[in-house]
Amino acid sequence: MNQPLLSARDLEVSFEIGRKGLFGQPRLLRAVRGVDFDLMPGRTLGLVGESGSGKTTTAMAAIRLTPPTGGSVTFDGDDLLTLTPEAMRAHRRHLQVIFQDPYSSLNPRERVGAIVREPLDLMDVGDPAGRDARVRELFSLVGLRPDQMALFPHQFSGGQRQRISIARALATNPRLIVCDEPVSALDVAIQAQILNLLRRLQDEFGLSYLFISHDLGVVQFICDDIAVMYLGEIVEYADRPTLFSKPRHPYTAVLLEAAPSLARRKSAGYRRAGMVKGDLPSPMNLPKGCAFASRCPNAQARCREEAPALRDLGESRVACHFPLG
Amino acid sequence: MNPLMSLQDLRVEFDTRHGRVTALSGVSLDVMPGETLGIVGESGCGKSITALAMMGLIPNPPGHLTEGTITFDGEDITRAPARRMRQLRGGEIAMIFQEPMTSLNPVFTVGDQIAESILLHQDISRAEADKQVVELLETVGIPEPAARARTYPHQLSGGMRQRVMIAMAISCRPKLLIADEPTTALDVTVQAQIFDLMRDIQQKFGVAIVLITHDMGAIAEMTDRVAVMYAGRVIEQGLSDQILDDPLHPYTRGLIGCIPVLGRAAASADRLPPLAEIPGVVPPLHLLGKGCAFADRCALADDRCRADRPLLSAAGHGHPVACHHAGVPA
Repeated sequence: MNQPLLSARDLEVSFEIGRKGLFGQPRLLRAVRGVDFDLMPGRTLGLVGESGSGKTTTAMAAIRLTPPTGGSVTFDGDDLLTLTPEAMRAHRRHLQVIFQDPYSSLNPRERVGAIVREPLDLMDVGDPAGRDARVRELFSLVGLRPDQMALFPHQFSGGQRQRISIARALATNPRLIVCDEPVSALDVAIQAQILNLLRRLQDEFGLSYLFISHDLGVVQFICDDIAVMYLGEIVEYADRPTLFSKPRHPYTAVLLEAAPSLARRKSAGYRRAGMVKGDLPSPMNLPKGCAFASRCPNAQARCREEAPALRDLGESRVACHFPLG
Repeated sequence: MNPLMSLQDLRVEFDTRHGRVTALSGVSLDVMPGETLGIVGESGCGKSITALAMMGLIPNPPGHLTEGTITFDGEDITRAPARRMRQLRGGEIAMIFQEPMTSLNPVFTVGDQIAESILLHQDISRAEADKQVVELLETVGIPEPAARARTYPHQLSGGMRQRVMIAMAISCRPKLLIADEPTTALDVTVQAQIFDLMRDIQQKFGVAIVLITHDMGAIAEMTDRVAVMYAGRVIEQGLSDQILDDPLHPYTRGLIGCIPVLGRAAASADRLPPLAEIPGVVPPLHLLGKGCAFADRCALADDRCRADRPLLSAAGHGHPVACHHAGVPA
């Protein structure tokens, strides 16, 4: 197997939030707790989980947009976390991001042509005279018309704005794009257009995606490998066929059960079996044992005492004392 | 059986800076007692306006209900006085919305807010209302209901807030519950819990539900019948199984085809084929021509579609559909 493009080892992110009293110790919120992953070149790694699972923080820490508090990240052989700010800037052109909300991630006062051109100017990519031609090329690549370059973001629909974000991310010919829920703000019909576009661009340019999503249908469509996260930890890590045909962690099974599906019909008296109760526990007050124990349908005494480590079960890695068969 | 809520040929117009636009046109829907009717479509198709019309909440100005009738439980409420509508809303017609945080008042406890709705509609004392509040919170699956009644909305999670909204909605034993994208802001496991709760409540109280959603999965799981809307019109309706298994309108087929379906071919190591796409976007309402509103995005469209708008008709098909090429494979 070839070298991973991006790999994280024991990645930790904590945030200081408030103090108990004026002279008290700052309280730590451990958003990401010891995450390992490998993203192979040309592939898509999905980070899946609910709100508060730490999936976005993990991705942002991996490209140093949020400072990690521990662990290491290697990008193409370089240790990203020890690079000087100068050297990090030089790497930025290979690490781009597409954000969830196409309304707040584009400057409303700037023409969209200038928005797409900006990374080229900032990173000094290519010859200045040729940059406009490059922007025109990017516009046709993502399915926009070059004559739309002079318009402002508000003149576009949500799907078109997401195309502009994609063009901006592609401008510097990056090797890795972090896609942070890129389709969850879009209508289903538009979502399909954007997902197909992302996959076409991946094939064309050999891009690698770190793809954050809570929607398992989307993940199944676009990801090659999947890490399921719960309260800042990876609880299951497997390739797509394995994860969807044979989920081993009870939380993965619950997510698959909860996702709406056309095959589950009210007319057939569909009832969901074994749905979890309650919400995610507070990350400020983590339980001693397994973080999922309070909601797990199969939790036993050992789960509340001892936190399970991620271990290799052949095709998948699972953090559970009693993995499903 | 008579329908509980019936919309007949409803037309709603709005004054905008582009002049008067038609937001709903010729919308006819029946909701039978105890059933769940789904209304599905993309943003801007008119599904939320339909819900507002059912509750007599079309803002006027700029909105105008210009044609059609709305009947609830045998009573014509099309032009019912505001006083009568206030009696019905929160009483026999209840509603829950998409974002539970913005529909709850942040400065009152959730118990106060549920009690307010009870006291408005029932002639009982505050102490009795408080007792009902705790029972209601228990019914909707909130742990430690007596303690939770004294908390403020910001102290609860999104799922808990939506449960509070449901407790408020069922507090006066409504006959009809209108749910406008009730789970869009929630995580999937919480969405599943809320759907389970809505189904339990329907079984327990026999309430009819109108579920407004953009999610075909929710339609499959929750509804008995469904109406698909596009650009302010109902373009196809029927039993949910008919629509999901045998969609006739190219738009409905597109909506179903473009969802990345979970489980299908999941075990295969090959890449899944590209998703079906509906090209383009929903046309703005002020630019609708006289032909079919979907023609510009439709692979089957011909001159007839652009000149002559198809009417909703069941002739020759199993269920009503508004398309000149209904059932023709794309």
